[in-house]
Amino acid sequence: MSTQNQNQNGYMLLFRGTDLRKGLSPEELQKVTDNWMAWFKRLTEEGKAVAGNPLEREGKIVSGKDRVVSDGPFAESKEAIGGYFLLDVATMDEALAIARECPGLPYGIRVEVRPVAGECPIAADARKEAQFAQV
Amino acid sequence: MSTQNQNGYMLLYRSDEWYKALSHEELQKVISQNNAWIERLTAQGKAKPGHALGREGAPVSVKNGRFISDGPFAESKEAIGGYLLLDVETFEEAIAIAQSSPSLAYGTSIEVRPVTEECPLDVRARELAQEEQLANV
Repeated sequence: MSTQNQNQNGYMLLFRGTDLRKGLSPEELQKVTDNWMAWFKRLTEEGKAVAGNPLEREGKIVSGKDRVVSDGPFAESKEAIGGYFLLDVATMDEALAIARECPGLPYGIRVEVRPVAGECPIAADARKEAQFAQV
Repeated sequence: MSTQNQNGYMLLYRSDEWYKALSHEELQKVISQNNAWIERLTAQGKAKPGHALGREGAPVSVKNGRFISDGPFAESKEAIGGYLLLDVETFEEAIAIAQSSPSLAYGTSIEVRPVTEECPLDVRARELAQEEQLANV
């Protein structure tokens, strides 16, 4: 993977870890959330963040051919996604630099940095296969 | 669980790269079905833009004061392959839409989450402050 690749569709930050509130005093918790809001506001003013929201600590998982609905563990889990930002930046390096500013990192939050795809990778694969088949 | 939510819902698609095992015809069929599904939801005003996510990428975390990256997650069944934002008001409708996704037949699971304006951390900090106030009364 080259981190120098340009991506005009931007990047998504997924914040993983919803157990941060445990062990923090109300003052500490308030400080983290204030820092987080200030961070998002600055990124928005700089034109680098185009969207972002927390997700509620509840949810459902739909899966399988039978389309079964089940409860997911979204509260106080290390892997659960607590929110996201959409970034309008052109390189993975810039997205990573922003991810490293996340105020939740010292408290165990992990930030997943993913390039947004303009075309679905599944469709791109199908197109490549079709081209290959024509040769 | 609240059933009304003005901020909409997020569908997170979790899967490994299942599509690599399909023939070209099968793959084309899934893509057509999925595109038609998204187009219908968009025309109904129920889906806002969604995107696939590239399989490359890096989680950033801090361990012992240092930045570390782990991954990759392309092979994981839990990896998030894309997302869709739904402009519907109830959990039930969001779940019903997730259940109608063509990709479920191929092993994808879909996480349905209410989008919120107010961060749950803020809510918790307020609750804790209130509890402290009560304890001091």
